[in-house]
Amino acid sequence: MHDGPIQVSKLDANFRSEVLKHKDAGGLNACFSCGACTAGCPISEVFPEYSPKKLSKMVKLGMKEEVLSSRFIWYCTTCHNCEQHCPQNVKFFNILNVLKNMAAKEGRAPSPWVEQTQQIMQTGLIFPVDKVLIQKRESLCLPALRAEGKKAKRIIELVGLDKIKANKVNVE
Amino acid sequence: MNKYALFLGCTTPTQVIQYELSSRWICKLLGIELVDMDDFVCCGINQVNLSQEAGLLLAAMNLAYAELKELDILTLCAACTGALAEAVERLKDQETRDRINSKLQTVGLEYNGKTQVKHISRVLYEDVGIDRIKSEIKRDLSKLRVAPHYGCHYLKPASAFGGFDDPDNPKTLHQLISATGALPVQYETFSLCCGGKSFPISKEPAFSLVQKKLDNIMNKKIDSMVVQCQTCYLMYSDQQKVINEQFGKQYNVPVLLYPQLLGMALGGDPKSDLGFGLNTISLDNLLAKVGINKEI
Repeated sequence: MHDGPIQVSKLDANFRSEVLKHKDAGGLNACFSCGACTAGCPISEVFPEYSPKKLSKMVKLGMKEEVLSSRFIWYCTTCHNCEQHCPQNVKFFNILNVLKNMAAKEGRAPSPWVEQTQQIMQTGLIFPVDKVLIQKRESLCLPALRAEGKKAKRIIELVGLDKIKANKVNVE
Repeated sequence: MNKYALFLGCTTPTQVIQYELSSRWICKLLGIELVDMDDFVCCGINQVNLSQEAGLLLAAMNLAYAELKELDILTLCAACTGALAEAVERLKDQETRDRINSKLQTVGLEYNGKTQVKHISRVLYEDVGIDRIKSEIKRDLSKLRVAPHYGCHYLKPASAFGGFDDPDNPKTLHQLISATGALPVQYETFSLCCGGKSFPISKEPAFSLVQKKLDNIMNKKIDSMVVQCQTCYLMYSDQQKVINEQFGKQYNVPVLLYPQLLGMALGGDPKSDLGFGLNTISLDNLLAKVGINKEI
């Protein structure tokens, strides 16, 4: 996350409105920086340099490049504590998804999520269904998994999720 | 008789089969009819990271399939529960529903807001009820001290769960555990997330979160953790082993899925009915404590 003085020349004045035009990010303006989101965030607990409060501020200031290139936006555990504890009803979880979707469109998606999408187009699930698994389920008298991804594939292609390419840089 | 479309999700039927086995067994015994659905696909929760629209569409596909059969959905995975319940909530908005349905049309589907979503623990709590569960107990588990772990998406986002339980101070799993005769033990890191959803991206934060909880639980003299999500299970159980090997740790915390604990209390065979042999961390000590000494 950002450290040190902000370089005004690098700010993108349109970034805030770009984010806010998404219905899901509408609450961002209500944030008064109390930090309840950060206090309950498990990722902030592990990485004190990450803070949902700080990230919200960075979006408002127009720090587009730093926000969309940050590895931390991908670390969210999706626990929903940020919105659960927000006194202003800001849906930070949704704002973060808007940011991740923007980064993904720019080719910055981490490969595990892209690979899962490719797998869904095959089996409808995020995992393959191989012979070993089929036999294991049979031996336990469990029903066979149909593992058919055709319709999911059509839906994924319809919204262009199949076009999202993985970032060559590992965020880990 | 309560009848539900069984939503297995991706991970349970492929990697944590004991959750599926034990859930099917207890549901049969307690009169919950589970309908297997060939058409269900991934709930879309991880795809939300790349495209919220795609994630919502995948969730809506599943809701539409269940609605065709006029069934509500019973989930096992907490994350699928959260994703599908959130989709139900979002699709209450007419504009959103029209937009999603116009896209679902390309695969011949439509969702009209009838199908609802409930996690198996919620079905046990609301449909079967604590008193009925207590009346069915066949085996004494009163010597067991267990640490409950709810799983974030079981109750969050709160807007999707209509006031069922309190996400900040939840009680339902505690009550479900007490109903089996076992003692739910409180611990300081109780509400900490398992980190499972960040694990595919980076192991580091997830391992830290798992260790924070295991460190805490190791001091509580408990016989097992009890979870109600296969991702939480994998993080605390399979990854506990990995952490021991990679970092020279000596964690030894057994982890049960709730239907395994309930199934044991209901008199099920730990191996053939409840899949205890598939659990990563040995349950031998726990079984000995409740008087089941046979090899599993």
